[in-house]
Amino acid sequence: MKHPLRRADTWQGYLFIMPWLLGFAVLTAGPMLFSLFASFTDYDMTSRMNFVGISNYLTMFTKDDLFWVSLYNTFFFVIWSVPLTTIGAMILALLLNKGIPGQRLFRTIFYLPAVLSGVGVYLLWMQMLSPSSGLINTMLGFIGIDGPAWLADPEWTKPALILMKMWSVGGSMLFYLASLQSVPKTLYEVGALEGANWWHRFRYITFPLITPVVFFDLITSTIGAFQIFSEAYVMSEGGNGGPVNSLLFYNLRIWNQAFEVYNMGYAMSMTWFLFVIVLLLTLFNFKFAKKWVYYEGDRR
Amino acid sequence: MKKGTVIGLVALLLVTLGGLMWWMQNGQQDTASNVESEDRVTLDFWSFWGSETRRPIIEKMISDFNESQDEIFVKHTFIPFGDIWTKELAAVASKNEDAIPDVVVGDINAIKLRGQKQQVEPLNTLIDTASLKEVMHPEAWDAVQYEDETYAVPFTMDTRLLFYNKKMLEEAGYTEPPQTWDDLTEMSEKITVKQNNTFEQVGFYPLFGVGTDVWLINSDGRNYISKDGDVTIDTPEDREALEWINAFTEKMGRKEIDAFKAEFGEQQANPFLSEKVAMYVDVATFYTQIRDYGQHLDYGVVPLPEREEGSGHYSWSGGFALEIPKGAKHPEEAATFIEYMAGKEAQMYWAEQNFDQVANQDAGQAVADQLEGQEQEVYSVALSAMENTLLTPVPVEVPDLVSLVNPELEQATLGKKTPEEALQAAERKVKAAKEGTQ
Repeated sequence: MKHPLRRADTWQGYLFIMPWLLGFAVLTAGPMLFSLFASFTDYDMTSRMNFVGISNYLTMFTKDDLFWVSLYNTFFFVIWSVPLTTIGAMILALLLNKGIPGQRLFRTIFYLPAVLSGVGVYLLWMQMLSPSSGLINTMLGFIGIDGPAWLADPEWTKPALILMKMWSVGGSMLFYLASLQSVPKTLYEVGALEGANWWHRFRYITFPLITPVVFFDLITSTIGAFQIFSEAYVMSEGGNGGPVNSLLFYNLRIWNQAFEVYNMGYAMSMTWFLFVIVLLLTLFNFKFAKKWVYYEGDRR
Repeated sequence: MKKGTVIGLVALLLVTLGGLMWWMQNGQQDTASNVESEDRVTLDFWSFWGSETRRPIIEKMISDFNESQDEIFVKHTFIPFGDIWTKELAAVASKNEDAIPDVVVGDINAIKLRGQKQQVEPLNTLIDTASLKEVMHPEAWDAVQYEDETYAVPFTMDTRLLFYNKKMLEEAGYTEPPQTWDDLTEMSEKITVKQNNTFEQVGFYPLFGVGTDVWLINSDGRNYISKDGDVTIDTPEDREALEWINAFTEKMGRKEIDAFKAEFGEQQANPFLSEKVAMYVDVATFYTQIRDYGQHLDYGVVPLPEREEGSGHYSWSGGFALEIPKGAKHPEEAATFIEYMAGKEAQMYWAEQNFDQVANQDAGQAVADQLEGQEQEVYSVALSAMENTLLTPVPVEVPDLVSLVNPELEQATLGKKTPEEALQAAERKVKAAKEGTQ
């Protein structure tokens, strides 16, 4: 262990990761610790920073209606969009893995939305979701459905956003496709000999072997869904989460508190509460993963 | 890890950090000294006026100032509207005077709150407040005051007016423009033509061009919270306003209105310009669009109609003010520049070139006198409307006001609550929030 060469190696190792360590300490860990501290103050960035104990957290849970509204909206979005996008991506990948003609073309087409991002996409969708002249309601009209007012109707704003998210599943689809192609063909041959139908093949061969990717996708898309912000900021009128607070997501509330009314301390306590929620969910996912995620060559 | 390794690691971290900070410090000093090459003090002026129309105008004003000066040189930095104030806030919070701009164009309605938060420098000792107060629009001047201190100098305003299409009114048998809400309702019914559930033309719809909030102000000339701190949201006048709007929506059909609205975007497709809407609310600068895209129009302009005869033609204005961010390097020089920008000459130039309302009333009047023809008509009506125009400064005691009230108003206009229920709820929430902070 105390071989001199080995110690020199260690040093070089640390030296190489120094840029990351430095970046983490200065740009991530530092600000995080600061925000944890500031969440117990009435910090407003410029005029004050007095310790107020847990009063921000008390206000959040007992006095601020909009905190609960924003939490509900965010959970609603996570609960619907995560499973739907995961299943959507998986189905697309399974279909594309069939070796149908034009597979490459379809792969590109489905992946395209994942390349486009940000405000441009939102503006495009705002046009598509337009109640009377938008593409979506026009198409619904062809099959005799009188489409909802989408972004103008508080009941339909969140479904509209979930629909929009489904459109850009191409990114995770690619992961699934790659992982599907690494499933050994021999297993399917054995399955065919044993008379397995498509469902058996999926349930007992394909799915277990791609569970690590499903797991990865679940974790990242859950975290991503909790972070929803810019969609609502752009697509709701005035960036206030309207109509009737239906698009007031947690992060939008944080933003408004921090940069519209300068309640930075309060905004920071909201972020820490969200951090705890996401942390617990992720820990739960990891714990539960042992029951269904299968790592080849690894007994866990 | 061994103790030696840990100590070494920490030392290395510190050295690198130190180096980084030294480099940042020096880098910034270099650029600063480059700009101040002459003996003049260089001011960094941030605005979001970067468009083809606005940029040459603001830069001409700056260069005029620079030419008149041998002590101050103003450098214009364009920062997009979406970034400018967060960027400014970050600079102020950093307390790094090299990063803080000297003058910034701020949202006039946010000045009180930002004054209280010490984001901007108090100006009473830096500028001649007495003479500015005399010429400035009283509402605008009030918006930049907090606890006997001035935190910015008003620059522009933009009151709402009613533009009407004379030809369309005449075809329906009207020779005079509407004066009251009832006039609007009656005339609109006559002018509106609907076929197969689509509008051929619309007389008037209150929520084209403006929001519910403007009509609540128009109804009684009061803000949600009065200057004395009384909450005045649930009033008979405000209920009447919501009922009046809802009557339009019911009569015309929400779906049909949405469909009609979706047909037009901004500018070229504006329904007033294409003679699809006979009466339309917009700011005075809308005149320039008519001038450029609607030469064929025979139109007139009046102040916003009143709730009933004698209730008052109240209107709403936003606006911008010039401020010195807290901790700026050259507050005195910055104040000199601000006084120039608020002065009659500069304000007249801005008003003429942009056809915009300015905060300096002398300048506004002088421009109105100089103009001719329809330009003068529109500008003079706007100027007279300014007398009944309110601003809506963010109240320091309830900074969250809009997010408390708007969802309720939306429920009322969407028919999910009655006007009465919505206004009661809004008033209750605002009162609770107000008591919570006191």
